[in-house]
Amino acid sequence: MTLRRLETTRRSFLAGGAGLAAGALAGFPMPALAKNRPVRVGIALPRTGPLALFAEHLPFVMDQVERATKYTVNVGGSDRLVELVIKDTQSSPNRASQVALELILDEGVDVILASGTPETTNPVSDQCELNGMPCLTTEAPLEPYFLGRKGDPAVGFEWTNHFYFSGTQAGGAILEIFGQVETNGVVGALWPNDSDGNTFAQIYPPVLAERGMTLSDPGRFDMPLASYSAAVAKFKADGVEIVHGIIPPPEFTTFYNEAIQQNFIPKVLYAGKTSAFPSALETFGSRAHRLVTEVPWGPQFPYTSPITGQTAAEVVEEYHAASGRQWNSQLGFKLAMFEVLFAGLARIEDLDDPQSVQKAISSISDDTVVGRVDFSKGPFPNTAVTPIAGGQWLEGTDFPLRLAITENTFAPDVAIEAKTLPMLSA
Amino acid sequence: MPDAFLPELLQPLVQALVQGTLLGGYYAIMAVGLSLMVGVVRFINLAHGDMAVLGALLVITLTQGLGLPIFAAILIMLPVMALAGYGMHALLFERAMRGGFLLPILVTIGLGAALQNSMFGLWGSNTRSLGADIGALSWASWTLPGGVLVGQLPVLVCLCAVLVIGSLHLVLRHTRLGRAIKATSTDAEAAELCGVDARRARRAASAIAVGLAALAGVFLAMRGQITPYSGPAQLIFAFEAVVIGGLGSVWGTLVGGIVLGISQSLGGLVSNQASLLTGHLVFLAVLLLRLFREWTAAHGGWRASVRAWTTLHRGRFARRKGEKA
Repeated sequence: MTLRRLETTRRSFLAGGAGLAAGALAGFPMPALAKNRPVRVGIALPRTGPLALFAEHLPFVMDQVERATKYTVNVGGSDRLVELVIKDTQSSPNRASQVALELILDEGVDVILASGTPETTNPVSDQCELNGMPCLTTEAPLEPYFLGRKGDPAVGFEWTNHFYFSGTQAGGAILEIFGQVETNGVVGALWPNDSDGNTFAQIYPPVLAERGMTLSDPGRFDMPLASYSAAVAKFKADGVEIVHGIIPPPEFTTFYNEAIQQNFIPKVLYAGKTSAFPSALETFGSRAHRLVTEVPWGPQFPYTSPITGQTAAEVVEEYHAASGRQWNSQLGFKLAMFEVLFAGLARIEDLDDPQSVQKAISSISDDTVVGRVDFSKGPFPNTAVTPIAGGQWLEGTDFPLRLAITENTFAPDVAIEAKTLPMLSA
Repeated sequence: MPDAFLPELLQPLVQALVQGTLLGGYYAIMAVGLSLMVGVVRFINLAHGDMAVLGALLVITLTQGLGLPIFAAILIMLPVMALAGYGMHALLFERAMRGGFLLPILVTIGLGAALQNSMFGLWGSNTRSLGADIGALSWASWTLPGGVLVGQLPVLVCLCAVLVIGSLHLVLRHTRLGRAIKATSTDAEAAELCGVDARRARRAASAIAVGLAALAGVFLAMRGQITPYSGPAQLIFAFEAVVIGGLGSVWGTLVGGIVLGISQSLGGLVSNQASLLTGHLVFLAVLLLRLFREWTAAHGGWRASVRAWTTLHRGRFARRKGEKA
């Protein structure tokens, strides 16, 4: 399904591009396009493999951008066509590194975009840094992006730019949500033996203690775990009322089903990597109501796309109509990636000088559909932090679930819609 | 909660044993097909887990896409997958097996990769589950005396495992086809001399194995969620259950699955991390024990073997000393 959609879109896009070029050759009033070489943009995305959900919105967003811009941008005083070269990282860091190199050496691109977890952004960025290629990435929290690449906050990277929310702020938003519900403050941890799980196991215990919360931690575990009955038993014995998990949907389903079987319903249930994706929660029916999540972007965000002129809510509405599927935050960031790209391209003085391209991208301070992206202010050099809110899933009308914003400490522009409610017991 | 029936200290232990046994039932269904393949066809199908996922995805399409009741969907899917198993053996494995011992294994690795990516192409990468189609069954539970809670679905899966393995046992013992399969697994050449069509027996075993893998996949999709890439992880557990239970033994696989399930849940009492580790350690221990027994059997019992080993090494040690001097 996804593949077929992507194919048609790419083909129709190429056909559109060819049509434009033909128009220019035939002497229609577009002489600038014929004279100036196009801007070549490489895109590295996980289009197949376990991370493929990060490429799901690309066809829709590409259609949007095409409609609004016809892939034409004014660079250094003349209109130029933007050519996209899309490569599949196959969800593998090694492959991501390889396709980045192909884009640089074989495709002769001017700038590279990459998106979708540190497994994609980090190898592509590293390759660009080595080869002096301007690079723009998103959809990996700032810390695993920057520190995962062994970046020095005092120095930073020369060629790579990144925008997304900060993991620290997301963790903080979740803690604020925990505080909104009346509980005994006992937090059960489901932190697996991977980089995210181990990071939380290091950082979270002192933060919880500071807030007067106690921790019930059954220890790190390797996934897939066939049964969470031991963790559930420990949570019951320790009187856990809040569960904080960093586990993907298949693991969460196993855990949650076993928890309900054992009559264990915490008052607050959070599962990073799962609870932000409504498609992963629908299988639970009404049991998914009142799960809490961080919200990197959503229809409630009061921002407008500089490319399409639509508000976040309008983008979501059109996506629902076009795809029949429910939005998730990746939609906003895919669009924002193009918005930042176009804002950067418009500032380029000399397209043939990579230094000038990098300078143009790193100097942007523009409003996008996910908030303001300003690479000069980020916690690390050449990074921009975007707002992160918190929310809770409630019963929906168009789709089984609807998100209510309940927390906005790190996203003050986003209005709070409700107070976090405790989960319904059995 | 204190309970008159069970002392409080024992309760987690009993709970772990019960949950482990139920989990073992699921492992056994996943493993029994693999065991049959190892025993009869004599090679390991590394795409076994991917077949399971394929079966689950077919059922998901039949129920969620076409609106069939789940039971009907399973009844349609099983013969389709069995037929696929038969065809795969006839078209792929038989040719590969002519190329020696390693080739069929390599073929199944390739088949697994091809299956995973074809499933991704057809169904996309979203996680899918049958949880919504079985309603409350995925989380409903019964309370046993002593306050032990058992999930209804795990109990059903475990009963199903006993049923499946029991009927497989009966089929192997009391039908013509079953006897042909058993004869082929004991000695293919001798069986052929007695008029058994070993090729047909192998194809039938392959059909049963793939059908059972698909059934296990359906249970996996009921317990949790699957993606086109969920298969390989399941293969490891199935493989461990087969080895613990004894290669090629049908009832042994049920025992193996339950031993694996109990080891994992007892390990989980210590810590989450110990859960999978304990399972792997039990698997390694059984494997070493089997190798040791085979070795001792070849040397006239374990007493004789130990004696032989010590004398051998004493001699070697003395020689080395002599060299130094």
